[in-house]
Amino acid sequence: MDRRRFLTVLGATGGAAAAASACDIHPEPTEHLVPYTVPPENQVPGIATYYATTCRECAAGCGLHAKVREGRVVKLEGNPESPINQGRLCSRGQAGLQGLYNPDRVTDPMARGPNGEWQKLSWEDAIGRLQAKVKEARGKGIAFVTGLESGAFGELVDAWMKELGGRHVTYEPFAFEALREGNRLAFGTPAIPWYDFANARYIVSFGADFMETWLSPVGYQNGFTRAHAFEGGRDGSMAKFVSVAPRLSLTGMSADEWIAAKPGTEFMLALAMAQVILAERLAPTPADARGLERLLPAPQQVATLVGMEARDIRRLSREFAASKGGLAVAGGVATHYGSGAHVLAASVNLLNYVAGQVGKTVKFGPNHALEAAGSFKQLTDLVGDMSAGKVAVLLVHGANPAHSLPAAFSQALGRVGYRVSFSSYLDETAAASDLVLPDLHPLEQWNDSRPRTGVYALQQPVMQPVFPNARHSGDVLLQASGRASSFREYLQVRWRVLHQRYGRGREFADFWSDAVQHGGVYSDAPVQTVRLVPGIAQQLGGLAGTGGVSEKHVLIVFPSIALHDGRGANKPWLQELPDPVSKITWHGWVEVHPETAAKSQLANGDMLLLTSPYGAVRAPVWITPGVRPDVLAVPSGQGHKAYGRYAKDRSFNAFEVLSDQPTDFGGRAFAVGVTVRTTGDHRRLATVEGDAREQGRDIIEVLPLAKARELKRGAHPFAEEETPAYARKALEGWAEAQHEKASLGNYAGEHPRWAMAIDLAKCTGCSACVTACYAENNLATVGEELVTRRRQMSWLRIERYYTGGGGGGHPVGALVTPMLCQQCGNAPCEPVCPVYAAYHTPDGLNGQVYNRCVGTRYCANNCPYKVRYFNWYNYAEQGGEWESWPDPLNMLLNPDVTVREKGVMEKCTFCVQRIRGAQNRARLEDRNVQDGDITPACAQACPSEAIVFGDLHDKTSRVAALAHDPRGYHVLAGLNTQPAITYLAKVVHGAVAEA
Amino acid sequence: MAETSPSRVTYDFVTRAIARTLGNPGKGYFALLAAAVALLGVGIVCLLFLLRYGLGLAGYSHPVYWAVYITCFVFWVGIAHSGTLISAILFLFRSGWRTAVYRTAEAMTVFAVMTAGLFPLIHIGRQWYFYWLIPYPNERGLWPNFKSPLIWDEFAIGTYFTVSTVFLIMGLIPDIAAVRDVATGWRKKLYAITALGWRGTNEQWRHYARGYLYLAALATPLVLSVHSVVSWDFAMAIVPGWHATIFAPYFVAGAIYSGVALVITLLVPIRKLFRLEDLITVHHFENLAKLCLLTGMIVGYAYCVEYFTAWFGGHAAEQAAFWYRAFGPFWWASWTMIICNAFLPLLLWRKTIRTSILALFVISIFVNIGMWFERFVIIVESLAGEPFERFANATYNPTWADWGIMAGSFGWFFMWFLLFVKNFPAVSISEVKEVLPAPQRGKARVS
Repeated sequence: MDRRRFLTVLGATGGAAAAASACDIHPEPTEHLVPYTVPPENQVPGIATYYATTCRECAAGCGLHAKVREGRVVKLEGNPESPINQGRLCSRGQAGLQGLYNPDRVTDPMARGPNGEWQKLSWEDAIGRLQAKVKEARGKGIAFVTGLESGAFGELVDAWMKELGGRHVTYEPFAFEALREGNRLAFGTPAIPWYDFANARYIVSFGADFMETWLSPVGYQNGFTRAHAFEGGRDGSMAKFVSVAPRLSLTGMSADEWIAAKPGTEFMLALAMAQVILAERLAPTPADARGLERLLPAPQQVATLVGMEARDIRRLSREFAASKGGLAVAGGVATHYGSGAHVLAASVNLLNYVAGQVGKTVKFGPNHALEAAGSFKQLTDLVGDMSAGKVAVLLVHGANPAHSLPAAFSQALGRVGYRVSFSSYLDETAAASDLVLPDLHPLEQWNDSRPRTGVYALQQPVMQPVFPNARHSGDVLLQASGRASSFREYLQVRWRVLHQRYGRGREFADFWSDAVQHGGVYSDAPVQTVRLVPGIAQQLGGLAGTGGVSEKHVLIVFPSIALHDGRGANKPWLQELPDPVSKITWHGWVEVHPETAAKSQLANGDMLLLTSPYGAVRAPVWITPGVRPDVLAVPSGQGHKAYGRYAKDRSFNAFEVLSDQPTDFGGRAFAVGVTVRTTGDHRRLATVEGDAREQGRDIIEVLPLAKARELKRGAHPFAEEETPAYARKALEGWAEAQHEKASLGNYAGEHPRWAMAIDLAKCTGCSACVTACYAENNLATVGEELVTRRRQMSWLRIERYYTGGGGGGHPVGALVTPMLCQQCGNAPCEPVCPVYAAYHTPDGLNGQVYNRCVGTRYCANNCPYKVRYFNWYNYAEQGGEWESWPDPLNMLLNPDVTVREKGVMEKCTFCVQRIRGAQNRARLEDRNVQDGDITPACAQACPSEAIVFGDLHDKTSRVAALAHDPRGYHVLAGLNTQPAITYLAKVVHGAVAEA
Repeated sequence: MAETSPSRVTYDFVTRAIARTLGNPGKGYFALLAAAVALLGVGIVCLLFLLRYGLGLAGYSHPVYWAVYITCFVFWVGIAHSGTLISAILFLFRSGWRTAVYRTAEAMTVFAVMTAGLFPLIHIGRQWYFYWLIPYPNERGLWPNFKSPLIWDEFAIGTYFTVSTVFLIMGLIPDIAAVRDVATGWRKKLYAITALGWRGTNEQWRHYARGYLYLAALATPLVLSVHSVVSWDFAMAIVPGWHATIFAPYFVAGAIYSGVALVITLLVPIRKLFRLEDLITVHHFENLAKLCLLTGMIVGYAYCVEYFTAWFGGHAAEQAAFWYRAFGPFWWASWTMIICNAFLPLLLWRKTIRTSILALFVISIFVNIGMWFERFVIIVESLAGEPFERFANATYNPTWADWGIMAGSFGWFFMWFLLFVKNFPAVSISEVKEVLPAPQRGKARVS
């Protein structure tokens, strides 16, 4: 607060108060709305239109439904037809909207002026410059760096570069080189297969974070839940999941067993498991792999190195084989070591192969698009050429190597003759460019991609460009390369080929419009048979006993779930999304084991200086039992030097400590030995976590599998007496009176009781629901400072409690639960509100009338679930210090939901706008609301399908059935709040650890 | 009274001694008044910022939704309790010693309620809609929710403010008339109006005495009810640490305790500055100290009961709440409260301390601090500890907006108090005379 503001406030408020009275301080005046004079056709104001398109936030290629209201996209939802994501969508996908409406987008083509300042150009001028520079550079080296483009745009770049004699490098910072190399070693193909999690019965993940960033997180999480969820009646449900990784990631938190193997020794475990399966003849091993056991290490040979008991290795192997549906996957941190990461991938392949699972749960054929990504080595080769002055023109699209390869790339960039960026944002690479030709956002443009073989996903513009002077890079390239067509026509030419294959005799126009409508063409690719490369077992077995990271402190850089490699960093939803594991927002951290912390007397928030041979970063300590004592872990994604207001100068860039040289398999080492020094500085973590332990409050109930299986219908293992007998009589009268009161406002003639069931055996804590809630309900993002003061507005939060690790010998694990308004039948918040802003609706919701609320906050104090959130500031004030939606971010606001004013309480409404919408539609169609008509945003996004919503009074509804599930319980039932949310207890293999 | 007053204290002496307090103020008085107004100014500036930007400027966090402002509210309401106790209950019990101190206590009561009443308005999110809490006929047909303890509170405080103001004004009438008769200038006009035509006739005195008695009888239940209702703001909620049946008596005792302590704190300098040692004697202070001791021990007992019930009740959340109180991040606040309120006043068992003005002054200040912390402990710690939803517990750090407005409330209170003591008799002229021996005519003497 500066002097000027101080005086302004004093003058303005003081003057107003003095002149009239306190009543002069009004809410913002209502702006006038101008109706359409000529309404556009097919556009009914108030009715949303949905367009199918494809998510481009990562390489997975999930199908999208873009909800468009009055010409603006207001929400992104999963396309139920897409075989990739089954109608589900992760946080990053949903936050694509904030890339579209990002206030830091580049609006016009720009070039560096003589003094280095940006000058706006006309497109003719800009393209002219591009053409001239490219012409000039012919033969002197032209390179085009793009992100993974598996469709028409990539092909266009390829074609153009071929014409010019340049090269096209596709660069993904996390490009799974080890996986591809491991597949090549083991099977002779660098393809990335499709993993069938849904049909797996026993899953062992060697570091693969398949719910976070690994290949196709939404689809894999969905499949995982199908396999791993507990379904009482279904035989063989509840696959076991074992996670082998140095840290307990989001994926690891769902594991039934966490094995923190010594970093770099994971492949020995895989080999030893294969050895046991072979030696004990546990599985129908293909003929070419039989007898390999003598080449592989036995469990006792590697147990000490790995850091586990030999008998546990045998147990795992037997369980894996006996499940007859084993699936071992390698990836993530376990494949990020400098050397031998591809060995792990190959070893895991061997394990799957000897277990007879290749072709069953591991399907080559429907290969993942990432096989087409370039390798880190290709980029470093390019960097070498750039430094050597062999690149005259560098074009960059959809990649930001200046951030992920900070020192080397930035230096080399200085030696490039002319740098052109097609970025929509002034990220580090674009900021160092000579010419910026802003691309349209993927939601504004035509394109396509091939997420996996057989799936052709189409991208269509779902609205007019937000910034009309940005231009589709495809069109720009076509024009620059002298082609006459538009990119859409170019795309259609490609699709004519698909038409021949998938057209089934229809006209192209029909085929095209059908594909556009459904988001693409989906077909199954046949499964190909792969054979083990001869001699591989010997090669891998020979490596066992060596390896393992030797440094005292290994620093692991893991991909951030929300920000990924950093591309999400300028989206406030993603910045404010509590990391599903650490629950920290807006900044990075270093994970330190409590023992290590105790030794060095570290506390949460102490700043550490982590120095590797390549660089140093300063990171605040977060102490967690979910990491090995000899490992430190930091997330990627922060520490931008440019990119926009939300990303810039925030925390540290973890890539700075990494080597800029490729590993022996052409990938990148994301683990590095570091020296650790305390700096004496301290910062408050912007965390939303209170107590990391549940302290026996029974917020999350857990059942051992054996017990869960025994539960009969009508059993109530968690039944707690909600109303003591002596009070029941009094309460009956009260309930009746309440009901009578409620019926005064009843307009429908019926009383549904809206309710929810949340299956904790399915919930993984991925937090997609949290972002969905932000998007649907216009939740404000409040920024780092306010999060440190716990002022986040997240109506739905994912609570994460650690279990075990203390006395009692239970291993460390984690439990997660979504916590949102329980819509209590006997709500503590309602009677205490002095103005009836909190009241009971006839259909059982705890209504909150924003207009009536004066902000006493008594309701929030009295809410035992702590799910009410207060507007401490005016987050919608344009230009205000706490503005949440700077123009044009405000265009993503859901027009069906009020933007709340300063000084009022808000909370989850069960997406009441969706309930009323469905009721209105049913009324117009003269029918009753059917079960399934209403899906709240959280339930819709949930990749695990853990949330079911419906009417409790409709005895046939799914939610009514689940409410009587023997696993069902109410959180804090002893308080007699009679919540509408039934949680279904988590089911675990083995014993239950006390929280 | 009679037995402790020096024999030179006569009717005439009383009138002169008290009228002297209304004389032209000196520099010291203006300095004090300026300090109070400056503090108030700080509070007003903070409030303007609060209105402009929102409550976020204060230190609130999720789930600490009430904090310093409500602490101040309960603190000031508590302060307000000794006034009515001394003027009404002790009047009914015919405690003669009250006459010398009750005016100060009553004035303090009225100003404390005026201060307390501001906080619920300041602390709400949309201060400009405060009137929605008041039941008034409106075109929307909307009434406040009479089930909400906040509405009970509003009535309790409103009633208390009305009655205590009436009580103060009523008690002032004969005194104002007495001062009117000697005053000059604008003050004479002021007193002429506020004396309401008092002439001191027999009939007026008879009506006055009867009226005062009835009013005292009516006001007596309020002493017990107001803070009981205030305590229900908390006790009716299900927050562990709030939800306790002992809250009403516990709060009433605490309120009287803090009120009496502040009376001592205020009387010591007044007695000194206005040279009223002859009227307000050590005997009066000792009686106040005894009252302090009694209520202080009730409060100490209540603390024990709270912890005992938490332990004995076996409710995990309740136990966690009290564990957090004693050993959580705010342990210092809890122990300040316990030491100041439960242990320090035990010194008052010693007569030497009870009769030492300096010791009493110091102890009374500590009790005031302790009582402020008692409310802070109950309100903030019960919320921050969040014993049910472990994931949501959080810490709390007050900001300048909290301290500024709190300081402003002290400025506001002392401004009124200072203006009062210079313009109205701070010690009741007529009632002090009541307990004096009648002017001696001859040897006849009725005591």
